[in-house]
Amino acid sequence: MFGAFRVTSPLCGGLLWKTPWRLSRFQKARQRKRLRGVDSVVEILGNALAKKGETLKALETWKETMPTEAEMLPKDKYTMFDRKEKRYRKGIHKLPKWTRVSQRVNPPGY
Amino acid sequence: MSYFRITLHRSAIGLPQRTRGVLAALGLRKRSQTVFHPVSAQAAGMILKVKELVKVSEVDRALTPKEMREERKPEPGFWIEKAVPRREVQELQVIVL
Repeated sequence: MFGAFRVTSPLCGGLLWKTPWRLSRFQKARQRKRLRGVDSVVEILGNALAKKGETLKALETWKETMPTEAEMLPKDKYTMFDRKEKRYRKGIHKLPKWTRVSQRVNPPGY
Repeated sequence: MSYFRITLHRSAIGLPQRTRGVLAALGLRKRSQTVFHPVSAQAAGMILKVKELVKVSEVDRALTPKEMREERKPEPGFWIEKAVPRREVQELQVIVL
């Protein structure tokens, strides 16, 4: 029951890695910080180009389609759409390389 | 003429070859390396491709490697308030002899 030979899933089945189903509040805080970092980069690029009178289509598209950190719903900050999940949502940390890719928008209605 | 000051903050290990290629094109090879590029739509487009990995600011001029090194240098821990002329040791020895 107790001690080194207790019956637990990792000891019985060998390799078992568990990923929590949701983010901790510290992970959420860091996620918000990263989102704000990307927002600031986009803003700096936009301001610098505006001063020179140049435009960049990719930048305009990003600004039109992507909400900033303040505009995003908590639902979209920490979870993402997945058609295989119950209620169509999974934690954003299930996304490979989730701290270094942008995942901001989800299908409308989900 | 203003410049983008770009610092690689996050590593591109495990990211697509396209992303790593953009970093190579910007001249960023390792984390916390800083490069300067003149403000242009082309440079902005490249930064936009790697916006999750870099820290960017707009500066008036590009710093030289020497100035970058000075920026990183820690405080010496002492400050010279007034310079005192050095004593000339050789002359003193002559007098004693």
